[in-house]
Amino acid sequence: MAVWFLRGLRRGVITTRYPKAIDSWTASLPTPPAFDARRLTPAVADRLVDVCPSGALIRDYEWLVLDLGACTACGRCIAVSRGVARSSGAFELSTTERGRLIKRIRLRDDVR
Amino acid sequence: MQSLFGRSLHIRTIDTGSCAVCESEIRLLAAPHYDLHRLGFFFTPSPRHADLLLVTGPAVRAFDQAVKKTYLAMPEPKIVVAVGACPLGGVYSEDAFVHGSLEEVLPVDVFIPGCPPSPLALLQGLLVAVGRLAEKVDALSFVDDEAGTGEW
Amino acid sequence: MSREIEASRYRANDGVEYLRVGMAEVEGVVEDMTKAGTRLADLFGSMEDEELVIRLVYGREPEPSYAVVQWPVRGGGYPPLSEVAPAAFVEECEIYEQFGLKCSGAKGLNRLVVPPHAAPDFPRLAHRPGRQAPPPHAPHYVTGEAIEFPVGPVRGVGQESLYMGLVTSGEELIDLYLMVWHKHRGIERRLQQLRPQQALFLVERAEGLSAVGNSWAFCRAVESITDVMVPEAVERTRAVALEFERIYNHAASLAALCQATSLTVGQAQAEVALEELLRLNAAAFGHRYLFGVLAPGGVTRGPDVGVIRERFTMAVDELRRVAAALRSTNSFMDRVEVCGVVSIDDARRLGLVGPVARGSGQDLDTRRDHPYGAYRDCRVEVPVRTAGDCLARMEVILAEVETSAALVTELVQAGLRAGSVDLPPAAGAALGWCESPRGESLVWVSLDREGRIRRARLRPASARNWRAFDDAARSRNVFTDIPIIEASFWLTVAGFAR
Ligand code: SF4
Ligand code: SF4
Repeated sequence: MAVWFLRGLRRGVITTRYPKAIDSWTASLPTPPAFDARRLTPAVADRLVDVCPSGALIRDYEWLVLDLGACTACGRCIAVSRGVARSSGAFELSTTERGRLIKRIRLRDDVR
Repeated sequence: MQSLFGRSLHIRTIDTGSCAVCESEIRLLAAPHYDLHRLGFFFTPSPRHADLLLVTGPAVRAFDQAVKKTYLAMPEPKIVVAVGACPLGGVYSEDAFVHGSLEEVLPVDVFIPGCPPSPLALLQGLLVAVGRLAEKVDALSFVDDEAGTGEW
Repeated sequence: MSREIEASRYRANDGVEYLRVGMAEVEGVVEDMTKAGTRLADLFGSMEDEELVIRLVYGREPEPSYAVVQWPVRGGGYPPLSEVAPAAFVEECEIYEQFGLKCSGAKGLNRLVVPPHAAPDFPRLAHRPGRQAPPPHAPHYVTGEAIEFPVGPVRGVGQESLYMGLVTSGEELIDLYLMVWHKHRGIERRLQQLRPQQALFLVERAEGLSAVGNSWAFCRAVESITDVMVPEAVERTRAVALEFERIYNHAASLAALCQATSLTVGQAQAEVALEELLRLNAAAFGHRYLFGVLAPGGVTRGPDVGVIRERFTMAVDELRRVAAALRSTNSFMDRVEVCGVVSIDDARRLGLVGPVARGSGQDLDTRRDHPYGAYRDCRVEVPVRTAGDCLARMEVILAEVETSAALVTELVQAGLRAGSVDLPPAAGAALGWCESPRGESLVWVSLDREGRIRRARLRPASARNWRAFDDAARSRNVFTDIPIIEASFWLTVAGFAR
């Protein structure tokens, strides 16, 4: 049993310090999209809405509505956005109000 | 809430149709990398000793009875935490098989997004649930906004 | 018309032979196949032009081919296949539930995914009203003072919902049956009408712990129909993802074995290894459970080869140390030995796959027997044990970790790439397969002229292997062995219930 005992000693070193500090490996977690407002036109928005498998993106006239609760961070919108969407890096999304997970993003006017 | 849960807190889990991955992340909370116990949380197999219910899955309709029974068996005060995109409606839309949203079945106190939420996201959710950590999502912006057109 | 296309196209292409028979010939064909020892891999129904078509899938190992026997059901009923091929029983129940069709002279059929309290309009693949739902479970021939001891469906912390009915006389476990309706999400039904690209999202989530295995089988079926060739370097990327999936699952199974045997320190160490492997998944492929890596036609995310080179061996070494420590822990070895025996005969009779089958002497592995993708160019060693107990299964998975590790090194050496080929619209049907961590995963897909799914049959390895669980549990009659057996099977309820 000595073999287990020695290995047990490492525990203290690997345990996360969260919430005091955030582990660096979390940078590789998939996260919901963030958008570049200057390039987020209605045409682009529709393309993103179309590709989202989770119903997390909805077009509401001049707004793009992102539901962080439904978003599975699948990356499909980012893949088709040609750089308009990127991974937000945000994973601490817990909330007591479902409504706080709904983000409304103003679309850029298509004129010009 | 804070005062009620200053002591150690017992967690029960229930699966309402998950893909088994959220369960895997929950189990890892007790693993050395996360060591849930250091934060005063403990898993309990009995609903009667549970303060907090972690619910995974899209709320399969056929399972309503069992979910409600588990909830009712818990002593007051109790907290319901919806784990992952499934109970938040992001994987299965509402249909004859699933509610697609846990809120149709139970009063949900805390929502933890993700597919799956990583163990750290789960830790954040648990700490938010007991009022030991302020939530962040309100302050987060999901738009790089230079032109000032604005998020709302 | 599309059925004609599929016949002509895939026979040569794919190693799948299609046999169309009439109702009258079915019994004879099944008898011949069974006599020849051909492995029954799946049985499922599908509505085609208002007509129910039933298909049997046979694996013809060691010959690298599958045979699909299909016949249209006319005038109700079909011969009771489970009498000659016991592996067909679960699917006979399924066809009854989903299509309302009973095989002639059927005895008690089990309930699978339709809840006991379901209304008559509970959605099925082809609902035929007016039929009675099967009873909750097959009648148990219990004599004397037997009691039923229910476990679940709500179970321990972080465990999937599952109902186990233990029928016991007090000492002896007479029967064990499972019910999984509380996890049925109707995925096969949901897939209908979707495009393959959209469908993949749900295919991955049918059984998240086999996301790569099941979705690769699905992609292969779709790529067969559309005649798409995936570049070799992309196929290698898929294979690396699949081997990563296998290794982390085997680590998880080991952790569960330690938990079930109350070896807390072993569990902690196995979980350390598991967590390192999951973090490696995320660093290399962008997702801890490898969701979203595969796409029909290719791979969406390229792996970070630098990360794999740097960390892969270290992560596997962590797991190797756990395995070595476990082997020298007598109290642990005593618990897993002679526990949960699946006999060689049962494994063959029930058509088991994966480590459960390989622990019971079945020398089966689709990567070697039906080579696909990058495995065409690799030599895949298939570890086999014959004892059929938890220890044998554990030895198999530990040996598989080594073969997977060797494969990853070889594949990375040969070069990996992301990228995907666009799928041209095409109608037709095809079978896809893949060796998921739990064993052979089969997917049969039929696409209509617009390239939408008419029928997608998912048969994850879990759907196959649960049927040996009661035999294993009864082998020694010790109730406390059941969690150990479950850990060594390492199946999901999600994959079974879909
Ligand atoms: S990441 Fe996926 S789920 Fe989330 S918004 Fe984009 S497409 Fe939708
Ligand atoms: S939220 Fe995602 S990971 Fe969790 S159970 Fe649902 S599909 Fe699986």
